[in-house]
Amino acid sequence: MHPLERLVNLVALLLESRTPLTFEQIRSKLAEGYGHQDASSAKRMFERDKDVLRDIGVPIDVVSTDAWDVEHGYTIDKDRYYLPEIAFTPEELSALFVAVRSAGDVSAEEAVLKLLSGADRGILDGLGAPALAGEADPNLTRAAEAVAEGRRVRFAYRTSRGERSDRTVDAFGLAVRGGHWYLVGLDLDRAEIRSFRLSRISDDLDIAGEGTEPPDGFRAIEHVRAGPWGPGDAEETTATVAFSPDVAWWATKGIAGADTIRNRKDGWVEVRLAWPPGEGLISWILSFGPDAELAEPPELRSEILERLEEILAS
Amino acid sequence: MPPEGGRRSGATRRAPERASERLRRLLTVVPYLVRNQGTRVAEAADLFGMSEPELLADLDLLFVSGLPPYGPGDLIDVDIQDGRIWIGMADYFARPLRLTRSEALAIYLRGTALAGAPGLEEAPALSSALGKLADALGPEALGGLPERVDSAGDGRTPDTLGELRRAASGRERLRIEYYAASGAETTEREIDPEEVFFAIGNWYVAAWDHRSNSERLFRADRIHAAAATGERFEPRGLRGAGRPLYTPAEDDVRVTIRLRPQVRWVAEYYETSREVELGDGRLEVELPAGRLEWLERLLLRLWPDVEVVDPPGLNRRVRELAGRTRERYG
Repeated sequence: MHPLERLVNLVALLLESRTPLTFEQIRSKLAEGYGHQDASSAKRMFERDKDVLRDIGVPIDVVSTDAWDVEHGYTIDKDRYYLPEIAFTPEELSALFVAVRSAGDVSAEEAVLKLLSGADRGILDGLGAPALAGEADPNLTRAAEAVAEGRRVRFAYRTSRGERSDRTVDAFGLAVRGGHWYLVGLDLDRAEIRSFRLSRISDDLDIAGEGTEPPDGFRAIEHVRAGPWGPGDAEETTATVAFSPDVAWWATKGIAGADTIRNRKDGWVEVRLAWPPGEGLISWILSFGPDAELAEPPELRSEILERLEEILAS
Repeated sequence: MPPEGGRRSGATRRAPERASERLRRLLTVVPYLVRNQGTRVAEAADLFGMSEPELLADLDLLFVSGLPPYGPGDLIDVDIQDGRIWIGMADYFARPLRLTRSEALAIYLRGTALAGAPGLEEAPALSSALGKLADALGPEALGGLPERVDSAGDGRTPDTLGELRRAASGRERLRIEYYAASGAETTEREIDPEEVFFAIGNWYVAAWDHRSNSERLFRADRIHAAAATGERFEPRGLRGAGRPLYTPAEDDVRVTIRLRPQVRWVAEYYETSREVELGDGRLEVELPAGRLEWLERLLLRLWPDVEVVDPPGLNRRVRELAGRTRERYG
């Protein structure tokens, strides 16, 4: 008998049986599958099959079948086996399909197929945009499990400045900003809530026991600062910058609070934006080269001029 | 149904050989077929990312399975006629298996990340779907995750995302106006967009570029205008997601620079071909570059926290760029 056929029969048998079945009962009912071999190798085969079923998520339980706890039987808990009905709208199911179908992550792809298989035919008709491809992040699943269970984790971390250290963190939450996932939690050595970019966690995350609860009103994203481009949390200043036609249409995309104040006759566009003073803004403006000119405030303008003079003199 | 080729199975999916993987797939496909009697073989195979022979082989095995004593009245009834599938005597397989813990986490995380991707039309539906999923699966599957995961929803929304996705799905050639950061210039070109994807905070399109006659990745938010040319194209099977965002070429220049600690982020953001720790917190990196304009601008912004090792002529180019920039300030 093909192993797949034996497995299908085993699932069907346990799903349909009203009472738990002992191995002997299973062996006699599924004689084609387990009957041909001696009892001990048949039992080993059954144990392997049981592991396969548990591995794919079939909830097989072992329960005693008599009052003296001598005989054991096997059963599948139907409430835990069957996916509950979820009343997705066609738009919701389609969105899940688009988002996850090509996630590059086998678990996510399996998940969306299970949700789809509980749906009526045609639910995706005429709606489906093509799937959006993606890729899996191995650290993410482990971090997510730690957060879901409120665990304490230990890992080696490399900061953006290249410094390495071992961290012990109570996993409070996860946040995604700028396309990067961050683990947010209480750093026990620093006694502070910190965020850790998953791509900089160099070693596997180890579970180090039970964690603590996050403070009331905790939101993971509030602890993740924007990258070297974005505004930080320092006090903001207002700057006026002119951009050339080549870059003006995209330069301030995604920057909150950027207002176009004037379209010049030469095609340049003047924009007012709020930004923390100092290095970040200067560096960002210089990244446009001659396609950007900072007009205000004057002290930043002279800092940029000074920087350019230094480069010219270098 | 969307046009053929609009869907594809993920890069990690492979033909399941092991019985466990085939069983997992069977327990997912059969409930759909039981619920939707008369589904076309081709449609089911497409939907579940299998080939038709794979699906038929699995159904063949199902046909000889069932309940004891496995007489004709106990076996699952699989009837395939005119390319359509009917399944009887399989009520116990009429609903799919629950999501495993790792499946639930994976779909929730992927959905959350994409729901926060800028400009995704499906974002509201995706968010409400994740909410329903969390309610239905409960803490047993997702633990405390739904209250503890967030997306900033920041980033640059491409003006042309909708057009790009529609063109990729309909295999329509586009004429685009593109700001190419590598050369710091706006260009016009025709492209055959094949895959739109979101990576490291930006939308990209993997396309055949008729200007360079090669495969290219385009940052979607730098595509200023996209117009249909009216022509259609045959897909070349170009992939975007999961691959490096810069494809080195043979005639690339190898640029070596040294980064002080505060600008080491450059090594995370750009594709490097070599990284050497200098021991004092500085990092020496080699960057492959087809053109140097983007590098000059990068060096201008990083100065004085960066040092050029090779090619030495790059310093002169940065000074020239500084000179052109200086002219703006009168």
